[in-house]
Amino acid sequence: MTNRRQAVKASMYMSMKLLLADPQWLIPVIIAPFIFTLVALFLYRDVSGPILLYAVLGAGLMGMWGTTVYGSGSSVTTDRWNGTMEATLAAPIPLVWIVVGRVIWNTLIGLVNGAAILVIGVLWFRTGFSVTDPPLFALATVLTFLSLSSFGLVLSTVYVLSRKGGFISNSIEIPVYIATGTMFPVILLPLVVQPVSFAIGPTWGIDAIRVAALPGYTGIGTGYWLDLLVMLAATACYFALAFYLYVRVERLAKRNGTLEEY
Amino acid sequence: MAEGETAAGETGAIEVVDLRREYATRSFLARSARVTVALEGISLSVSRGELFGLIGPNGAGKTTTIKILTTLLSPTSGRARILGLDIARDYYAIRSRIGIVFGGERGLYNRVTAVENLRYFANLYGVSPSEIEGRVARLVKLVGLEGRENDRVEKYSRGMKQRLHIAKALVHDPELVFLDEPTIGLDPGGARDVREMVRQMKKDGKTIFLTTHNMFEADELCDRIAVISRGRIVALDTPAGLKRLVRDISVIELQTYDATSEFVERLGRLPGVTRVVPDIESERQVIKVQTSAPAEVLPLIAGVAEGVRIIDKAIREPTLEDAYLKLVEE
Repeated sequence: MTNRRQAVKASMYMSMKLLLADPQWLIPVIIAPFIFTLVALFLYRDVSGPILLYAVLGAGLMGMWGTTVYGSGSSVTTDRWNGTMEATLAAPIPLVWIVVGRVIWNTLIGLVNGAAILVIGVLWFRTGFSVTDPPLFALATVLTFLSLSSFGLVLSTVYVLSRKGGFISNSIEIPVYIATGTMFPVILLPLVVQPVSFAIGPTWGIDAIRVAALPGYTGIGTGYWLDLLVMLAATACYFALAFYLYVRVERLAKRNGTLEEY
Repeated sequence: MAEGETAAGETGAIEVVDLRREYATRSFLARSARVTVALEGISLSVSRGELFGLIGPNGAGKTTTIKILTTLLSPTSGRARILGLDIARDYYAIRSRIGIVFGGERGLYNRVTAVENLRYFANLYGVSPSEIEGRVARLVKLVGLEGRENDRVEKYSRGMKQRLHIAKALVHDPELVFLDEPTIGLDPGGARDVREMVRQMKKDGKTIFLTTHNMFEADELCDRIAVISRGRIVALDTPAGLKRLVRDISVIELQTYDATSEFVERLGRLPGVTRVVPDIESERQVIKVQTSAPAEVLPLIAGVAEGVRIIDKAIREPTLEDAYLKLVEE
């Protein structure tokens, strides 16, 4: 079997080349963040102080969601369109490692995306950006990305199994934005929805980011470190689930003969 | 001696026993699935270093066979061993020792260059990083893409893409190469170049499993050929052996103008005619009349022409195509 690190690096590099080869890369990296920020600031236009930063952070997290979670799955769809799905699967390496390379690249793009939103918010819309605890903010942001990546990896299995993967993950995009509290606190959601929110790892990371960034913010109320701990536990489960699912879906796709459908 | 081993203890390149594949398609809200049988239990073996051809009409099961043997599709039942390894259990080990050439425009990253495609797949196949650049350069030269290797693949002609497919399949120096209709859609010059590359692979000691629609190509290249029809192997022999199946017939080849399907039917009713193979849709109409008594049939043809202009007529020996048509139509 191929060296996994070699395959992950190659996959990451190819994702970069493919993104930059297409002028549309400006849409997810610059244009979409600008729109997210604009919408967030429009919604919160009558407030001032930390709430404005709350809105910009929410927009940033939504942007990161888009690129990180859906980028991995859509790369599988692109493989189907290109006809490269079979060529990729024909390699002597489990598909999950190739997708991990793409996930890492998408995570980096997600970080750029989040940073772009903050920069646009601060420079263009004159939003104040004063983080309460910068080191904890940075740590929570990086770990939340890890969690988003693991969630994206789980979702991407649907794309391997079926060409209808995009339909499924697109339909849960907005509910997931709401459930994870990107735009308003989870505790404002109806009680019946809250268990769903708490089952999603990044919900806790988003809370930790805000605890570290916003003065006086309590959010879920569990505190920064417990937030991170719960998220890391969920992330470990997601990674384990993704690796298990990839073995199953590869086998299932081979059995059903759906690998070449596009 | 274990199954598939030769007397010298070396396993064959491919051993297939009773391979069957069904596809189940289920429409929305349908309670039961519709089952299509693509392979009805085929068996074959290919020796190391052999150039083996699989020919058959569209939908006969050629691509399904290749997909199963390259571990991309699971069989419904039956067994297959590739280089002594089990397709159901040892698929990663198999993949690292085989190369696959899928025909057509798809299967390449079009927005990046040929070199970037080759580097990527070399890495996925675990080629040592220190060897990749040298190997990519050699392959670019081998398939004649020198000077264009740093152009994006989307700017390539069909023939250039096919050359790149071949280079991609060879990037990890496989022992066994599967070629799925490698010359389909190529112009005559491009097809000849691909055939030359296939010959070179064989000279380099590789085992080759080739599917094709082109009978001339199969006849010219293959050591042995299996004919597949409706999911079954209906014949397996050398090209000369397959042609012997039709040695008792001759072919009268007519070049015509204004030929109609009625004319073809009248030819088929002539005494002594066993089969008529028309190609009257294109501008250059060619009708092949198979018969065991060409001297008796030839003078009768003018009598059923009824306005169809026969530009040329000739009696020739049967070819592999004639044998193939006899096999798949029976």
